[in-house]
Order: sequence, then structure tokens, then C-alpha cells
Amino acid sequence: MDYNKIRSLLEKYWEAATSLEEEARLRDFFVRHQHPLPDDLREAAPLFRYCQLEMDRELPAVPEQEARVLPISKAWPWQHWMKYAAVLLIMAGIGFGLRQQRIKHGQLIAAEFGEDTYKDPEVAYKETQKALQLLARNLNKGTAQMEKLSYFNEATEKVKAASY
Amino acid sequence: MSLELFHSQVLPIRPKLFRFAFRLLNNEEDAKDIIQDALLKVWHQQERMPELQNMEAWCMRIVRNLALDKLKARAYRNTEGLDRAGEMQAVQQQSPHLAAEQQDVMGRVHRIISALPEKYRTIIQLRDMDGFSYQEICDILDLTLSEVKINLHRARKTVREQLQNLHVYGLQ
Repeated sequence: MDYNKIRSLLEKYWEAATSLEEEARLRDFFVRHQHPLPDDLREAAPLFRYCQLEMDRELPAVPEQEARVLPISKAWPWQHWMKYAAVLLIMAGIGFGLRQQRIKHGQLIAAEFGEDTYKDPEVAYKETQKALQLLARNLNKGTAQMEKLSYFNEATEKVKAASY
Repeated sequence: MSLELFHSQVLPIRPKLFRFAFRLLNNEEDAKDIIQDALLKVWHQQERMPELQNMEAWCMRIVRNLALDKLKARAYRNTEGLDRAGEMQAVQQQSPHLAAEQQDVMGRVHRIISALPEKYRTIIQLRDMDGFSYQEICDILDLTLSEVKINLHRARKTVREQLQNLHVYGLQ
């Protein structure tokens, strides 16, 4: 190729006004040229040779398996049986607790508004007697102790009277 | 966006996205991470799909933003690229001496481009190495046509000045 044509193309190249085809022609010229170049063309040769090397350079391949797009597997309802079991268990627990509370509450009300303790009057009478006897016995025990105290009271009264 | 659309429009451009991310980050693992994140982001924003004119540019823009975030977050040092420059094979190895010299020159060019500001570097990569049209670069970088041309001109001008310095020292 005529050096003058190369010169004019090169000027366009430095001005960023060349087309891709013109740049390819320049690259081709500088890569293939064997003989010594004129001084004004020599400066551009390393750049075009470098560009050609970069274009030809083999780059590491991108592994193909990275391109796989894995389908999202559909989750079936029975795959989550433990979740459902846990929910059922919690609900059963809450139900049982509520039931127990209701029973306890019913018993308290029954005790307050009185069902009789004994169905048979005879037994009730006897049990009452027993209870009253126990009460009387314990009361008597108490008063017996109080009698001892009264001796002390009397004694202190006498001492007081004597001292006056 | 349906799964079929994702398969037909987004997944085929993965190598291109990876190439772009790799050039920005100069690290294979980071580039793979970025691609994964970008694809997820695209998938999560699937409702924007109907209003998009250029799906590829949109994906590239997402990759670029994620890569820039990564660069900022890790205070990335582009040293791997510099190391890699030494591994480059010189073109047309005629003699060991010439091959070594050309390899050295390629390493210098790589350092010059790596040292450019991010915007300039990305534009040079997109245009001169990935072969995108001006309009595609506009879509990817979300810039106007004149902004792209101005930035490309400035980027090339900076590279040219650096290359002239190399030339002064007798390298070609």
C-alpha cells in the first residue's frame, strides 16, 4: 500500500475519524509490513501490532455449566407435613388447656353454690356430730389452759393488794 | 423476560461479556464473578427488557459498572496485566534478538494503555481491540457520539505521545 495513503489514514485514525474497515486496513498494513518504515509511520506500528495481538489472544473459556438456569422445583403440600403436624399439635394443646380450665371453673362454681356433701341425712348427722364433738373437745382443752392462767391472775391481784 | 428470551439473547453474548470484563480487570476469576453478577442483575431487571433497544450494550454497561465497582472496592492494582505483558508473543519472530525486542515493545505499549484513565482505556479497548462501532460504544458507555469521538481522539493522542517517546529512544 502507498505510504501516502497510510499517512492520510493514520491522520484520520489519530483524529478518531476512521471507520472500522479503515482501521482494519491500517492494522493489516502495520502487522504485515516487513521492511523498515519511514520515521513518521514508525511510531504507530507498535500500537497496531499490540491491538492485533490483543484481538488474536485466546482468553480463558467461560465454563459452560455456569450458564445453566436451574428450574425452580414446585413444592407440594405434603412436603411440609411437619409444619402442618406442628400446627395441629399446638391447636390440640390450646383446646385441651381451654377444656381443663372450663372444667375447673365449673367445679369451683358447684362448690360455691352448694351441692350437699352427703346424700344420706343419717350419715350427715353423724358426721356433723363428730365434727361438733371434736370442736367441743378442743375448746375444752383451750379453756383448761385458760384456767391455769386465771390462777396467776389471782395471785398477782393478791400481791398487788398486799403491796398497797 | 422469559427464560427462552434470556437463553436466546443474553447467554450467547457471555463470551463477549467475559472478554470485556477480563480486559477491564485483567483477572480471570474476577471476570467470571462479574459475569455471574451481571447475569443475575440482568435477570432481576427483566421487566426493563421490552424498552431496551440494544440488549448487548445494556449487558456490557452492567458488566462495566460492576467491574468498575470491583476495581474501586479492592483498590485494584493492575500489576497482573503488567506481568502478563512480558508473556506476550511477539509478531513474526524472525530472530531471538528481534523477538525479544518486539516483546519488550509490546510490554511497553501494554503499560502505556494500562496507564490511561479508565474512560480512555475502555474506549480504546472497545474500539481497537473488540472492534465495536462508534454507536455501539455510545450505547455501552452511555455517551453521545461526539463524546465518544472526543474521548477516543484524546486517548489515541495520549498513546501517540507516549509512543513518540519510545521512538525517540530508538525502539520500533
